[in-house]
Amino acid sequence: MNAEHPLRVLIVEDEVLLANELEYLVETSGAKPVGHAMTSPEAITLARETRPDLALVDVHLADGPTGVDAAREMTEHCGAIVLFITANLRRLPDDLAGACGVMCKPYSENQIRQALDFIARCMREGRAEGQPPNGLILSDAFARLWRVHHAA
Amino acid sequence: MTGQKQTQAASDGQSPEDGRSHDLQKALEQRTGLLHELDHRVKNNLQLISSLMLLQARHAHEPAVKTALEAMHERLNAIAVVHRGLFMTEDPGRFDIAAFVRDLAAELAGARPGVRIMLDLEPVAMRTGHAAALALLINELLINALRHAYPEGRQGEVRVKITRSGSEMRIGIADDGVGMANANQEQGFGLSIVDLLSRQLQARVAWEDAHPGVHVAVTLPVEAE
Repeated sequence: MNAEHPLRVLIVEDEVLLANELEYLVETSGAKPVGHAMTSPEAITLARETRPDLALVDVHLADGPTGVDAAREMTEHCGAIVLFITANLRRLPDDLAGACGVMCKPYSENQIRQALDFIARCMREGRAEGQPPNGLILSDAFARLWRVHHAA
Repeated sequence: MTGQKQTQAASDGQSPEDGRSHDLQKALEQRTGLLHELDHRVKNNLQLISSLMLLQARHAHEPAVKTALEAMHERLNAIAVVHRGLFMTEDPGRFDIAAFVRDLAAELAGARPGVRIMLDLEPVAMRTGHAAALALLINELLINALRHAYPEGRQGEVRVKITRSGSEMRIGIADDGVGMANANQEQGFGLSIVDLLSRQLQARVAWEDAHPGVHVAVTLPVEAE
């Protein structure tokens, strides 16, 4: 990851232990955690204040299954790219609420590191080099944007 | 049918049979919802346990404690990979062992730079109930090869092959490392797990010193398609 302009990452997750672990993974991947929210209003407020490059968002937050709406708001009004991290694939709409993709729980630390790396590179270069890493499912819109060709 | 009932049924456009099937439909939706909620909780809890283990591993000062926690984390991870794959297939009662190995290998690929994992996998569906045991067994063998066959930065290739013939599945894990004579003490626990799980799965595990490396073949019964 680019040391001069590290990816600024907001973590939206109501399980504090998981958030703590994600923060550690973000940091050791060379990115910079800019905040942690446990509810959707908190997430949106923090996103407005910190203007993160990337928000890692769970579907289920402390105020209910509100992650989807929070993701849409952060994408449309706070300039963030959202990556869902959830055990709840079924709750996601087809367009992933404007998010770039989704990772399924239970994830491994390797998967998160590789996904952060892949997304950082896509954002920097405007396109992907090769296929997304294991565990990262891109939305159709971002697969097109980053010119990822689905492997046959 | 009495006239009154007929009128009632006509007024809401439903026969009593329609009402019952509506109730059944609702009950089914509720059950499905509960099942999804349970699936979601299991996955979240696995993630939580995984985070706890990593957290403690990072805080551990003693190398032996760190190693033990990391090994347990790897085992938990194998079970997590299984759970990720559940409910993703058409038939929730079946589990594709080849898909699991692909996912696990992707997880372990970065673990040993210089050692490649090559896959040659025939899709084999097995009962979901056996998935965790077989996943743990494969995990032990694969990690054993990656960790012990290539000391001091030795390079090589571990080949995993799954084939099916009739009512038997064969899983081959072949490394080209230093061989059996160099087996060491700390492999003991992992190999006793292999022993226990193979009994549960009614699997035969054959070890062969292949010069170079070790070839392990696991043969176990699977149900007919």
